[in-house]
Amino acid sequence: MALGALEQGLIYSLLAVGVFVSLRILDIPDLTVDGSFITGSAVSVMITQLAPEGGASALIPALSLPAALAAGALAGICTGLIHTKLKVQPLLAGIITMTGLFSINLLVLNEKPTVSINGRPGIFSVLYDLFSVNPTTRKIVAAALLLVIVALVAALLTVFLKTQLGLAIRATGDNEDMVRASSIDSDNMKIIGLAIANGIVALSGAVLAQHQNFADAKAGTGMVVVGIASIIIGETLFGKRSVFNSLLSAIGGALAYRIFIAVVLQLGLKASYFKLLSAVIIIISILIPIASKSIAERRAKEAKNNADD
Amino acid sequence: MLTIKNARITFNAGTVNERKALDKINLSFARGSFTTVIGSNGAGKSTLLNAISGAYALDSGHIFLDGEEITEKPEHFRARIIGRLFQDPLKGTAPNMTIEENLALAYGRGTRRGLSIGIRKADGVFFKEALSRLGLGLEDRLKSKVGLLSGGQRQALTLLMATIVPPKLLLLDEHTAALDPQTAAQVMRITGEFVRENNITTIMVTHNIDDALHTGDSTIVLSNGRLVLTLEGVERESMTVERLMKVYSAAANDSFGDSMLL
Repeated sequence: MALGALEQGLIYSLLAVGVFVSLRILDIPDLTVDGSFITGSAVSVMITQLAPEGGASALIPALSLPAALAAGALAGICTGLIHTKLKVQPLLAGIITMTGLFSINLLVLNEKPTVSINGRPGIFSVLYDLFSVNPTTRKIVAAALLLVIVALVAALLTVFLKTQLGLAIRATGDNEDMVRASSIDSDNMKIIGLAIANGIVALSGAVLAQHQNFADAKAGTGMVVVGIASIIIGETLFGKRSVFNSLLSAIGGALAYRIFIAVVLQLGLKASYFKLLSAVIIIISILIPIASKSIAERRAKEAKNNADD
Repeated sequence: MLTIKNARITFNAGTVNERKALDKINLSFARGSFTTVIGSNGAGKSTLLNAISGAYALDSGHIFLDGEEITEKPEHFRARIIGRLFQDPLKGTAPNMTIEENLALAYGRGTRRGLSIGIRKADGVFFKEALSRLGLGLEDRLKSKVGLLSGGQRQALTLLMATIVPPKLLLLDEHTAALDPQTAAQVMRITGEFVRENNITTIMVTHNIDDALHTGDSTIVLSNGRLVLTLEGVERESMTVERLMKVYSAAANDSFGDSMLL
């Protein structure tokens, strides 16, 4: 159970990192995520299916990951263009792209609600074959591969955020006036930022599809909430001192969230309450810092009153 | 250097709230000149700076900067050669980023932002040196978030950011108005130094008539979006606040005074 939660947590930590880029760095609540996550799954599964039957090469499924990332980035560019060039509010721009993506995702999946990789080698099954491992050690191999992918994405993003372009994107979410005054086109920064955010989200969807061997066109609903929940839980548990601290917190938050979900499911909660649980977790995570602050203030006040008496 | 021809901006055109913020303004600023702009509230001072920087588009007219027509150019394009400071010290800096990150962004003015490293080692040394000139001790706080600084410190930092790559034109919109008198004087002193050293063409809007008459080399007076007075040379030197008020009311034919003295 615990290892399953770890795998899930690592997969969804990519989602959290993607949402972190739009929500925390660009300061845009981007709902494209509900669509682009599935775009990633769909692209990855359809490309994996291209492998010849009975083949065992990891090349095609591995290539499906950057392809999924590119597809997600395109979706992000769409949202960015709608927001910046048509002057549509970011929330609405995301909803427009997400709605359009529902149809596009179905088209990619040949209009079937779920599509499996059809016995073709996936990135995980190739590794399983390679190490000819038994079911228990399989999970360890899977977790190790996921860890490598997450570490790679986090490291690349960290380096990127320290480049000139990365600094400009971060500043755009912090003070757009100042960015334009520094001769930077803030519209372009938002478009690039949303492309990166949705690219990472789509990568998360692709890795999930590889892990479960199928894509589900309807599984995207509420993904953005899952991402935001992970970020807030991470910030509450692990802090947000700097942007890099926050990035690691988002990954930690995604792991904590999955472990929590696994425990609750183990206790007998029905899977249909899943989304409600996600929403409630966000509310509670937001409440904790507010409540602890007001309790601290009240204590300070009482201490002062007592001292005055 | 900067020429404005027949510039017009009307807010809420066609409604009862219609207001001519710029009404056929014609102005010309020589290279290296320092011009102060005064006028009562709503006279069009800030609108003039916003039109030059590209934050507002002209309804009609033309703006030429350094021989090039920039009337239709976007704000970020003009920012390559225009530096800008606002009254609000929070407007010019990114609060959640560090001092050196803010400076690095300003230091890239006019260049394409690529994938090269944002802050090189040499940049850090250069930033430290530049900050030490402000005399605020910021050179030891390169890694502090800008949001932790006071208003005066942030405004001084913004000034440094606006001039770290010397712009051809510097627009100052009451940039010391929100600061306490001591800090305001210090920021004004640093402004003068930067401008003189780099020979930057400067336009400064102010509500302080005394500042307006004693800073820079000419003063223009706006009223209801029109240019009503230009003071230069001997005439400007001999001008007093009282006499200016008299001349102004005659020229502008409107109630001048209290709002302006603020």
